[in-house]
Amino acid sequence: MIHDSLLRERLVIGDKTAADVTRDISRPILNKPSTSWKVGFTLSVIFLGIFIVSLGWTLWTGIGVWNINKSVMWGWDITNFVFWVGIGHAGTLISAILLLFRQKWRMSINRSAEAMTIFAVICAAMFPVFHMGRVWVGYWALPLPNAFGSLWVNFNSPLLWDVFAISTYFSVSLLFWYIGLIPDIATIRDQVKGKYEKFWYRFFSMGWTGSTRSWARYELVSLILAGLSTPLVLSVHTIVSTDFATSVIPGWHTTIFPPYFVAGAIFSGFGMVATLLVVARKVMNYENYITIGHLDAMCKIIMLTGTLVGIAYLTEFFIAQYSGVEYEQYAFINRATGPYWWAYWSMMSCNLLAPQVFWFKWARTTPWFIFIMSIVVNVGMWFERFVIIVTSLHRDYLPSSWVMYAGSLTEIGLFLGTFGIFFTCFFLFAKFLPVINMAEIKSILRNRE
Amino acid sequence: MIIDKNLSLRNRNKMLVGIWQDEDKLMEAAHALVHAGVKVHDVYTPYPVHGLDRVIGVRRSWLSIVAFLCGLTGFSLAILMIWYMYVYDWPMNIGNKPERFSPSWVPIFFESTVLCTAFGMAFFFFWRSRMVHGIQPELIDPRQTDDYLIVTVETGEGVNEKEVLDIMRSNGATELRERVGGVQTTL
Repeated sequence: MIHDSLLRERLVIGDKTAADVTRDISRPILNKPSTSWKVGFTLSVIFLGIFIVSLGWTLWTGIGVWNINKSVMWGWDITNFVFWVGIGHAGTLISAILLLFRQKWRMSINRSAEAMTIFAVICAAMFPVFHMGRVWVGYWALPLPNAFGSLWVNFNSPLLWDVFAISTYFSVSLLFWYIGLIPDIATIRDQVKGKYEKFWYRFFSMGWTGSTRSWARYELVSLILAGLSTPLVLSVHTIVSTDFATSVIPGWHTTIFPPYFVAGAIFSGFGMVATLLVVARKVMNYENYITIGHLDAMCKIIMLTGTLVGIAYLTEFFIAQYSGVEYEQYAFINRATGPYWWAYWSMMSCNLLAPQVFWFKWARTTPWFIFIMSIVVNVGMWFERFVIIVTSLHRDYLPSSWVMYAGSLTEIGLFLGTFGIFFTCFFLFAKFLPVINMAEIKSILRNRE
Repeated sequence: MIIDKNLSLRNRNKMLVGIWQDEDKLMEAAHALVHAGVKVHDVYTPYPVHGLDRVIGVRRSWLSIVAFLCGLTGFSLAILMIWYMYVYDWPMNIGNKPERFSPSWVPIFFESTVLCTAFGMAFFFFWRSRMVHGIQPELIDPRQTDDYLIVTVETGEGVNEKEVLDIMRSNGATELRERVGGVQTTL
């Protein structure tokens, strides 16, 4: 039976049929690239070039070209790692958790959110890998039999957990994304005309025909993968937070880190999804699929998670003072009023205060404003990691080793360059694969009960 | 044994093919066919139609049990790995943590469990669903991945072709075809 709900807005507007969905969503794939795509892609490739140059310089000279040769040994590098890995967590979280909660509005955004996850994890991986310095012996981080006596890796270390967690997370996210793509790749396979295109889409569609038997299994597999991905995401970002929390550095040694990092990941991830989709829906004419209702829902989550993160900032500040440990007290007072006060207050205003505008419906339903806010959120979350890492490390237990730290040109180039990697991948994805899950969208064309 | 033989269209008797464009009419037709005692071979849809698998008598998949077994394998492998490296081969004292089992190994047990479950399940899903990279898809119509909802009934003993076609027609099929040896003719 079909009921058109009087209370809920429709998830897809414009009275679309299944054929319309195929036509609208596969248009950018079947047609020649648009001018906006070419401009965006060229810009991304330029930034990718910056990454390659910065990385080449780093490898040629050694990581001495970064300014981390002092007590701030993590500097921009791990700041960028946590920034990207945080963004990388939201995608799977969005599709998995929203799938488990049966939130059908996820269907318009999950594909691009998952793609974002994969590209962001690739960007994130660059930083710890090249931070190793001698990256050619990077495989030492794996538990491989070796000729150095029986030198196994340290299974008690959160850094090793990270190796396992992030590689598992990347592989499982890629699988989840790919399995979700198969029916849509099959749709494109049956639409494209060119010989080579047909070959590649046929190759990746794995012979999908849309048999009900396959769909039944497919849905079960998606559900189990979502069930697995949810604790996986929580575990991975918890493990990233234990990189800090298991140390004895004032400002890091806190039990609030795991939930606070996870909330921050969802926050920054939704920020990045909003940045991408507000632009994509306009440029690719997807306004009927990614509606104002979707943006509204995303803004509500941004506000909620921003507030959670804000409460975490205030809690850790309070607990530091309440603990009576003078090192902890000093670390937090130094964050707010020391030489890096501007980073701390940027973080506070971008993450805690700015998202509060989403209490107003106007703010949640105005795309250009959401775009600006999503950038603010991204900036704020970068500053959060900068504050955690740099303010805690630049003044340690020994005042004679206190230093000031600023990223070198190479570090800045590497960071900007990762945006090149990210957007190059994203533009290629938008050209060759459907940005919106066609199969799922077709199942919700009318509000069914 | 693992591949679902029902998925292949090769070497089949004459097939009756009905095409719909409305999901609700398709459901009614499937109900009507099953009610009349017709065995529906398969239904091809561009999107998942919930409940259709039960209607046409597709049994619940064993994949959840397979997933559990894969998870168990991953969990055991991780325990075996850490036990071999850290307890048997070369015990190391790090931060005075316990020698035989430390809770700090749990994250690795967990990650390994998830990895093996996900990939093991996906592997068996592909195998069972006859999905291989590059395989030629056996399509009734290229629009079955676009907007056609296609019901196929295999003819044989005890199948009244006329009755099947009548049920399809009266339940809103927009097109009827028969498929003999890979060649389709519109009825």
